[in-house]
Amino acid sequence: MLPIVKDIDFLTDFTETIDNPSQLATWEMFQQSYQIAETFKVDSFHTLVSMNFLPHMKFLPHQVQCAEKVIQDMSGRALLADEVGLGKTIEAGLILKEYLIRGVVKKVLILAPASLVNQWALELNQKFYIPAVTAGKRVNWEHSNIIIATMDLAKREPHRSAILNQVYDMVIIDEAHKLKNHKTKNYQFVQALQKKYFLLLTATPVQNKLTDIFNLISLLKPGYLGTYENFNKKHQSTDPYLKQLIQQVMIRNRREETGVQWTDRHVSTIWVDFTEEELNTYQKIDDGCRDLQVVSSITYKREFCSSREACYLSLKKWMEMKELNNHETTLHHVLKNIEQLPHHAKALKLVELIKNQNNEKFIVFTEYRATQIYLQWLLQQEGIKSVIFRGGFKKGKRDWMRQLFHDHAQAMIATEAAGEGINLQFCHNLVNYDLPWNPMRLEQRIGRIHRFGQEHDVKIFNFAIRNTMEEHVMNLLYNKINLFENVIGQLDQILSKLDMKNLESEISQIFSESKTIGETKIKLDNLTSVINSLAEEQVGESV
Amino acid sequence: MRIDNLYFFLDQFFTDNGCHVTKPEENELVVQLTRELDIALMNRPFYWHYMDKIGQQGMPMSLHLHTGESHNDPKKEWIHYGSPRLQQIFHYIQTHAKTTVLYEEIQTEQKTALYPWLIVNLKIDYIGKQKKEEVNSLGLHLINGTILNQMMEILQKIDFKEKVSDYSYTITPIITPSSGFHRIFRYSEQELLKKDHTWAIQSKEALEEELNLLRHFFQDQDADEDLFHNEAVRLKERFEPRININIINAGIFYISEKSINQLLS
Repeated sequence: MLPIVKDIDFLTDFTETIDNPSQLATWEMFQQSYQIAETFKVDSFHTLVSMNFLPHMKFLPHQVQCAEKVIQDMSGRALLADEVGLGKTIEAGLILKEYLIRGVVKKVLILAPASLVNQWALELNQKFYIPAVTAGKRVNWEHSNIIIATMDLAKREPHRSAILNQVYDMVIIDEAHKLKNHKTKNYQFVQALQKKYFLLLTATPVQNKLTDIFNLISLLKPGYLGTYENFNKKHQSTDPYLKQLIQQVMIRNRREETGVQWTDRHVSTIWVDFTEEELNTYQKIDDGCRDLQVVSSITYKREFCSSREACYLSLKKWMEMKELNNHETTLHHVLKNIEQLPHHAKALKLVELIKNQNNEKFIVFTEYRATQIYLQWLLQQEGIKSVIFRGGFKKGKRDWMRQLFHDHAQAMIATEAAGEGINLQFCHNLVNYDLPWNPMRLEQRIGRIHRFGQEHDVKIFNFAIRNTMEEHVMNLLYNKINLFENVIGQLDQILSKLDMKNLESEISQIFSESKTIGETKIKLDNLTSVINSLAEEQVGESV
Repeated sequence: MRIDNLYFFLDQFFTDNGCHVTKPEENELVVQLTRELDIALMNRPFYWHYMDKIGQQGMPMSLHLHTGESHNDPKKEWIHYGSPRLQQIFHYIQTHAKTTVLYEEIQTEQKTALYPWLIVNLKIDYIGKQKKEEVNSLGLHLINGTILNQMMEILQKIDFKEKVSDYSYTITPIITPSSGFHRIFRYSEQELLKKDHTWAIQSKEALEEELNLLRHFFQDQDADEDLFHNEAVRLKERFEPRININIINAGIFYISEKSINQLLS
């Protein structure tokens, strides 16, 4: 039997006001009120009505289709996994707007990275007329209808308990790939939220492992892919059925399919040669580590390819930890060597590059904070203004840095954590000062500038030092699979097909376990050819 | 009875509410607000509070509205179906036009009896996996219990006033308004039962399916009783089919027998 709820409260109001002439409506207003109801009724289960309310917005076809699919086929719980820059926020806003108009959603929680909180508020208010507010320190969770907060704030007491006590009609989580591990506090917090409709947004639904996506989907639809244990047992590698299942809860638009004109990407590799002293030091790191039977010299060598400072600091820290007070080890010599090096070849090359490009803006990505500080110092010496950007910056500081970069500085030097959550369409030169070994992170970086709204072709400069491990990674991994040329979008699928648990650790392993350079090369070569063959297959399938 | 022209709609609304309206150009309205509408629309409670305190009259603001396709002039407010200003005006109308008592305006010197009708405008929500709405206007004759559909469309052609016209008099209802409402509800429910409810069955099925998945997922994890319970409740909220009957507005209308008969034939 279908429950029918009647508006009984109206009767009380009616009998109270009927005797009070000042509260009675004129015939005209009475009719107008009815006309309004007629005009705004949602008379179909299926057709979206929100677009009628947003005549100033030009939605792209894939964005509208996405909203329709989420509402009609997915009943409001979905993983929005468009490639970077295709407008996931717009899609989420459209879905939210539709539910608000249909009157099934009132109370909403949006969790976004600190750097995106203000942007969410701005877009929802200006583009969608959705009165969303950001959460400050004294936020009142109970009385806020549509609120945007950072995960860091939300999961901290006393906010955590207060939030868990609310019943949300809709929860939206941006950059949801951070929830890939079901054992983390963040994951359990999100799982415990009381929510009806639920959107997860990420450009990289599979970062390393297939279980990443299992965990994300289990938040949306617990049980949809079975239990964790079963999933791990069953889905070893290629399972077409699994792919089908995933497509019913995930929407992933790719650049090529959207039919939108994108500016081009020009990728160039900039080769750098170490000076003789630098190359000597680089090799000594290897010897030093072997003498002390350090498990792996890879980390230190990678750091040295970035800057003297990065390597020096972490070597020193390691030695202090191990209490190596004997100053005669090879590693102590290495440290002394590093101290005496006058410069770093790669950094000098960066200065040269920026100086040659007529005041154009550059964003420079490095993996290390020590390098970041060194680069800023060096650029300053050369008269180039720069700002730094890190994931740990507070919201206000991030916005400020972005503004400084926009108005005053020529370069922004960012560490990895800044790879997401900041939009820099006004800049079209990107330097990968250190290459990440996980190509998915690269797409996040490039997505900061090559996104909707970029008017210029985007230039990407990849720095690599000859005769070091960087050369191998560049030649064997990146160049071979053409990772820079828009192929990355498919990499998540390829990796899941390969059941590659973690590409970064895979590469790390190859470096540390290979006894000769030749062996490294062969192994990396094998890895890339497997990825390539699957990539071709993928294109053939045109998923 | 949809709104087909926003411009006319707003012109009528502001004029009816005592505002001075000028039309400098096509699609444009300049509205000198009244004190009441300024308070309702302009969001400046402190100004009015302060004016009242010092015993001043205060100056209501004016609005410059533009209802064309689109425009970029920051001095004019662009009004379209999504614009916050329009939503605000609509909200004002909806909250101020909930109830009424109206009398048919009759120009005659003959004595005319006006019969009481209860007019109830309903919005019916069908909520399941998805949601849709229906708007209905029902009229109940408070003497003989007749119920008519699409009452607002029928009454459109009649002029109503807040006062009884000369020479006409009202008949006292036999059915009280509150039992009238119950008759209207009962009638609506009976009508609803006759309808096709495949949507509800589909929502039920979807709910069962989701609940089964949920049970399966939590079967090996004994510690998560709360989590399971929580998810199950939200699933039901999201899928369980139900119908809400909301009242948009309602009123007692006194109408002559003649007019009704004319309009119905």
